[in-house]
Amino acid sequence: MNENENNFEALRRLLALKRHEIPPPGYFNGFPSQVMSRIRAGETAGSPETAGSSWLLKFLQVFEAKPAFVGSFACSLCLLLLVGIIYAGRPDAMPKSTFLASVTQPVVSLADATSPEPSPTSAQTGLMVSTNPVLSLEPVASLFGQENPLAQPVNVSFPPSGN
Amino acid sequence: MAEPAERQDTESPAPVMEDELVRQARRGDLRAYDELVRRYQERIYATVYHMTSNHEDANDLAQESFIKAFQALKSFKGGSSFYTWLYRIAVNKTINFLKQRKNRTHLSLNDLDFNAEHDPDLMALISDKTPRREAGLTELQEKLNEAMLKLSEPHRLVVVLHDVEGLSHDEIAKIMDCNIGTVRSRLFYARQQLQGFLSDYLKPT
Repeated sequence: MNENENNFEALRRLLALKRHEIPPPGYFNGFPSQVMSRIRAGETAGSPETAGSSWLLKFLQVFEAKPAFVGSFACSLCLLLLVGIIYAGRPDAMPKSTFLASVTQPVVSLADATSPEPSPTSAQTGLMVSTNPVLSLEPVASLFGQENPLAQPVNVSFPPSGN
Repeated sequence: MAEPAERQDTESPAPVMEDELVRQARRGDLRAYDELVRRYQERIYATVYHMTSNHEDANDLAQESFIKAFQALKSFKGGSSFYTWLYRIAVNKTINFLKQRKNRTHLSLNDLDFNAEHDPDLMALISDKTPRREAGLTELQEKLNEAMLKLSEPHRLVVVLHDVEGLSHDEIAKIMDCNIGTVRSRLFYARQQLQGFLSDYLKPT
């Protein structure tokens, strides 16, 4: 081994140059405080107050680490949205346990409500589904089959448009 | 230049005191851990720096190593000295970083200190007998770092720990979790490779 050591003497002298490479002046004065502040910050991040945000951070880190996970997550979100849209478009898709079903009234479809004239059914029940805010100014006679003492007829008149 | 004096365990600063600091740090005493950081920052930084040849990366990795060591202090059983354990963390972190970085190397070298220009051994390397005598110390530093980066991580690590940091074969074996024979063979192979890479800058003694 001694012969080998002698063979590498010049190399080892050259490698000594590495020992002369020093970081900027004062670097080691600030190093411990940087480490300690990061440790303190990490302890704060681990506290219960910030547990929610750390959970979110870990979740986002999974996104960063596994691009395939991002793709599958996005696909499942799109699929969910599509199913929601399709499901919402079906009139018979409303579950019977919902509020409207519980009052045992027929459901008025959007197609019916687009007409400015209120349908007989909706007029009877006072329940309407419409995107038109001034579909009907008829007072709601009863709510849930009971007389509504607060229901008052209101006359609203709009000024003719001047444009 | 003579071979760097190998650091022996007996040269470690006050082992009893270190044990006490470790015990206090395990209980969450940040002041005790701050003292441990001050004690080993230069060695850890230097090892990581010589492995990466990049000051910014070395800064990040050294800090992260100390942070990880603090978080893992509870799992430190005391089977080895604290600084061997700390070295192991820093070395593993650095090797993982280098594997992720692969060939995207970017040199960010520290300046040479004043003594480099007055080191007779180094001046001899750039004397008129050197094949590349026009090479200055800065060029030599750059070529040396480039050659180091051509080595595989385990080979580079052995050279850094032994020929630059001055650790003994035994200590390196403990840090790298391998036997001394492996350390010796890796060191021999790494030196051979370096000699080939730097043949233009080496003159026979």
